[in-house]
Amino acid sequence: MSDFSGELTRPMAEADQVEKSMLSGTGMSIPWLRKQMETVETGGKKEKDFAKTTSACLGLIQEALLKHQWEKAAEYMHSYFQILEDSDAGKRQAAPEIIWRLGSEILYYHPKSNVETFSTFADRMKNIGVMNYLKSVLLLLQISLQHALYLLHHGMLEDANRSLSQAETWRYGEKSSSQDILINLVQAYKGLLQYYAWSKKKMELSKLDEEDYAYGTATQNMRSHSWKTSVNLSALIQIPGVWDPFVKSYVEMLEFYGDQDGAREVLTNYAYDEKFPSNPNAHVYLYNFLKREKAPKEKLISVLKILYQIVPSHKLMLEFHRILRNSDKEEHHKLGLEVLFAILDFAGCTKNITAWKYLAKYLKQILMGNHLAWVQDEWRSRKNWWPSFHFSYFWAKNDWTEDKALACEKALVAGILLGKGCRYFRYVSKQGHQGLKKKMKRMNRAVKSYSIVDP
Amino acid sequence: MDFPSSLRPTLFMSGPLGLSSVPNLSFMCSWRDALTLPESQPQSAENVAPHLARDLRWEPETPGPFPLLPPSPDPWDPGPTAHDLLFRGGHQSCRRPRATLDVTEQLSRFLWDHGDIAFGPLGNLMQENFKLEGARSRSKTKTVVSVKRLLQDLGGHQPWGCPWAYLSHRQRRFSILGGPVLGGPVASLLGELLKEELAGRWGQLLLDDAFTGGALAWVPGKMPLVGQLVYPNGGALDRLCFQEVSVTPGSDPQVLGDPGHIQLRGPVRQVVTRTVQGEALLAVRSDYHCAVWKVSKQGRPAPLQVLQVEKGATGINLSPHLPGELAVCSRSGAVCLWTPQDGLQQVYKDPETLVFRDPSPWRWADFTAHPRVLTVGDRTGVKMIDTQGPPGCGLLLFRGGAEASCQKGERVLLAQYLGESSPASLSPTLHLICTQFSLYLVDERLPLVPMLKWAHGLPSAPLMAQLLPAPCPGAPRPLLLGGQGGQLQLLHLSGEEVSVPRLAGPPQSLPARTDALSGFPLLEPASQRRLQERLDAPTIGLAAAVPPSASTSGLALFHLSKAGDVFYQHLRLQEGSSFCRDAGLPSDPSPEPHTPTAAAPTPSRTPTPTTASWTPQATAYCSRWLKALLKVPLPPPVWTAPTFSHRHLLGYKEQLQDGGKVLAGLRAAMTQGRLLRQRDVGSFPTAEPPPAPESGPEDELSERLDEAWEGRGADWWRRRQGRSLGLGHQPRRHKRRTQLSSTFSSLSGRWDLSDGPSPPPSPHRTSPVPRPLPPATPHSQGLTQELWTRGVPVERQQTLQDYMARLPSSGLGATSAPPSQASSIRSTPSRQQAPRKKSRMGF
Repeated sequence: MSDFSGELTRPMAEADQVEKSMLSGTGMSIPWLRKQMETVETGGKKEKDFAKTTSACLGLIQEALLKHQWEKAAEYMHSYFQILEDSDAGKRQAAPEIIWRLGSEILYYHPKSNVETFSTFADRMKNIGVMNYLKSVLLLLQISLQHALYLLHHGMLEDANRSLSQAETWRYGEKSSSQDILINLVQAYKGLLQYYAWSKKKMELSKLDEEDYAYGTATQNMRSHSWKTSVNLSALIQIPGVWDPFVKSYVEMLEFYGDQDGAREVLTNYAYDEKFPSNPNAHVYLYNFLKREKAPKEKLISVLKILYQIVPSHKLMLEFHRILRNSDKEEHHKLGLEVLFAILDFAGCTKNITAWKYLAKYLKQILMGNHLAWVQDEWRSRKNWWPSFHFSYFWAKNDWTEDKALACEKALVAGILLGKGCRYFRYVSKQGHQGLKKKMKRMNRAVKSYSIVDP
Repeated sequence: MDFPSSLRPTLFMSGPLGLSSVPNLSFMCSWRDALTLPESQPQSAENVAPHLARDLRWEPETPGPFPLLPPSPDPWDPGPTAHDLLFRGGHQSCRRPRATLDVTEQLSRFLWDHGDIAFGPLGNLMQENFKLEGARSRSKTKTVVSVKRLLQDLGGHQPWGCPWAYLSHRQRRFSILGGPVLGGPVASLLGELLKEELAGRWGQLLLDDAFTGGALAWVPGKMPLVGQLVYPNGGALDRLCFQEVSVTPGSDPQVLGDPGHIQLRGPVRQVVTRTVQGEALLAVRSDYHCAVWKVSKQGRPAPLQVLQVEKGATGINLSPHLPGELAVCSRSGAVCLWTPQDGLQQVYKDPETLVFRDPSPWRWADFTAHPRVLTVGDRTGVKMIDTQGPPGCGLLLFRGGAEASCQKGERVLLAQYLGESSPASLSPTLHLICTQFSLYLVDERLPLVPMLKWAHGLPSAPLMAQLLPAPCPGAPRPLLLGGQGGQLQLLHLSGEEVSVPRLAGPPQSLPARTDALSGFPLLEPASQRRLQERLDAPTIGLAAAVPPSASTSGLALFHLSKAGDVFYQHLRLQEGSSFCRDAGLPSDPSPEPHTPTAAAPTPSRTPTPTTASWTPQATAYCSRWLKALLKVPLPPPVWTAPTFSHRHLLGYKEQLQDGGKVLAGLRAAMTQGRLLRQRDVGSFPTAEPPPAPESGPEDELSERLDEAWEGRGADWWRRRQGRSLGLGHQPRRHKRRTQLSSTFSSLSGRWDLSDGPSPPPSPHRTSPVPRPLPPATPHSQGLTQELWTRGVPVERQQTLQDYMARLPSSGLGATSAPPSQASSIRSTPSRQQAPRKKSRMGF
């Protein structure tokens, strides 16, 4: 019996591809193979009428969905329920999931549907699952989870909580890992709901006077909430995955009750566990936590260093640069330059005026400090593409018309890196702008004294 | 760049494809993807995430696309179909059908069509054993065979694949003696190669990855409403055309002037265009060459450089960051960064695939948000490679495996960088990965974990995709996804930099080229079939232009088919879509407060999908195009095969006499003013094919039924017999094959009836069968039998004529009229009506 559980978790698309597609010689499965083969008359046995009508009906529903004909899709859906009586056990088993997917999609968009209709459908699906067709609890859990999410999305926290609590109790047969994960997920969502309630309480509490009688009960209340929540959340965040909302709320609660060590452990684990994907947010959360905790600079730098290796274009990198710039160590100063150059490598950051401003200023500072080699190090790998990427004539014109301040900063950098002859610098310096005369003069002087290009 | 501060919960599992125990958390419901978790505060839970736009929809203005440009004057051949390649017999299980390639049929077809090649050398060796002319045998040796007698026995046309074909003892002796000698070497030498070729063709039919990326491009021009379509044309798709088109919102596009063209030396497989820093570039990939042009402001292309790719190029892409930089990849597994100034720089080379072993040599390369980092893709995954870093290292961006909960057998078909330098509402770090089942959006800052997954369910390979600019600021960006079969889907992507990319509304399907059929006038069956075949041609290119307009958001969509046809469709963003109504408030973060019933939209906001109808202009385009299409000659028969049919030689005298009957019948019909039917003339007076297919045997039947109805059945029968007996020399051995042979030749049907008292074939057996089913077992019987079990096409008669010309004039008096002329009188009708030309596998 439990054999089916594996089959059931297969997504719908796959459930009917098992037969429609075939692993051709290359090992690739081709969903449209069946269609091609149907054009050739084979002497084989034909699909049964029942199977034909159901698969045709499925096709019609999908077509209607893609054409946004929700009413039509709903009508077809009526007929599609016949699949629940399919004599093919495999298909019958896969049916509830398909029905849930299509049905929920239809009801989500159907103009006459509302939260009640949706909930009724979800509850019926759960009943079908419990009573007749489901030998596995997995789909049930998925339905409950999605239903809860739907309710949550509509602001119905209590109903969502009820749906999740109900789901939590469903278990069937031998415990499988996927069932465990889903249960954990259900609990985590429940925890999140509790966190919302807790957070609300916290807001109310902040308005209350500490002397008030109500204050005591409220804190009591909160404590019980938080305890339940942490139980619910902690299990899931041990499993590899991206659990940003859960981790965030869990840490907030831990911090509120002064469990700094617990929070640090959770965040460190989330950021550094190798089984987890390299999620930039994990490092951001850890950094923010450490910052709140007023951790030593070295610690902050080491966290940001890793973030820098993962996402050099992250907006925290500007902050990283500031920290490095203000550090006492020389190697940090060098890294600060590296970080700035790296930010500006990315297509999405080319117009980041802060980064350009920092770079212009920092270049001057570095060159004044006689660290020409650092600049040359950075420039070596960029000198063959930065000129056309940043300092082309097109950008000079474009930047000047769009953002004169940006153009000035970039021109200064261009002048330092490429010399006075570079097109960007020449274009910008030639644009005699009244308000910027002084700035231009300064820029010219800076370029003259700092340019890394030999005259 | 901002990174989304909170990502959607996702389970992360590593492992191979198709781990069924992984609970699939991306449920592939469009609504599910749209739900994002509320941030921290419960208050904000009430006005969470932007609402899914139920009425976000691009409405097509006509029920289907219509042809924009006249069809190419070259004939087009759709190529082999599954019908040509697969074995059509045997018993199949319904659940797990297996495609079996029919090597034997193709092989015997080759032996038939190219007998001179297959048997020529051996024939030369054995020449002394054959006696070619009909003269009496002087030789007493048993090893000399008279060719004439043998040919007589063959009868010219034995039904294809008939296991009960009759064999004369002479034939049998010949086949026993000659079979091993003649069949063996050919079959063994050729069989293996043929099987390989067939497998290749079949694979290509299922997935033709040569056109990955699409071969149609829209180069915006000086004026915002005028641009150039760049597409290949001509029978071999080797002429690169530049057609200026102006798209005006609210009316049909104007084709400006004639297209300019550049003749290339190979078929165009991919056309890419990009405007970087005001410089429009055009890159073209052919099988073994790549080329770049620079398109001037006036729209004139100036060639920059051509690159030869020895192993075959599989992908080319232009950098969105640096003008004139390209990424090229080849079948050898090498990826190069190519700049016309500095030449090639090999970035990556690995003949093996990235994640697991896959035999496909297909490779792909594209750019990323970092101008010096490229993506390298194959069927199993996509990797990011730093061109400045040490060779070989990199980070996997997408892995065909449990990380993205891929299914068993799932393969990457397309990888595309979605970032552009244009003002974007999406983060410039997103990549689109398409497999045959799903579409993934992956952020290069969080590799391996897809940000969005959608099961597209397209019934063909999604090889073309294009992210279009938002119709108005703050609106979701349309992502076009095109299947090779012509199916189109449009997804609405939104997700400003701080939020996770998501579907802003339910994906929709757009009309395919086959939906254009209703725009054409009704045609006679043959032309209708031709039109349908043309509309069914695979899509090899997709381009879209968004003409800027103040009032309505429109989308001009161009399709290119493998036949070289460019179709056009205009789409309009539906009025109800709230995104562009208040364009002044881009990405308005304050949706109306939620009440439990807020999900139910007020009826007034309910979208009513308006049914598009054909505009007079569109139908005019259609009929103009159709007229031109019907003037295009049909593809000529690939090759005219020799024939061993000798019946023209033996029976043409009788046929000549028929001519008188034809004339008489024609006159009689004219005087009576009635329709001339086939029975009036016996056969057709000219080689002109009659329009109705398969009329021969049917007429025979109906004629007989007619007569029988009027009580003259026996009379008719006698008459027929008399006529048939007049053809005295005809072989009388076709008795059993009647029913099948009628398919091939209306003539054989008649002659077959000559067998005296045997009852005529029952009506249902004579009914025309488009293609006979070969029996389940004949293949074990070897080739020798199949050699003659096939109808003789008319195109072979020319060769026969040549063959005859070489023969010394026999006593049959073939001098007065060429035999082929006479024979064509009889045999053309049935052949010309054959439903479809049989493909000959390019021999």
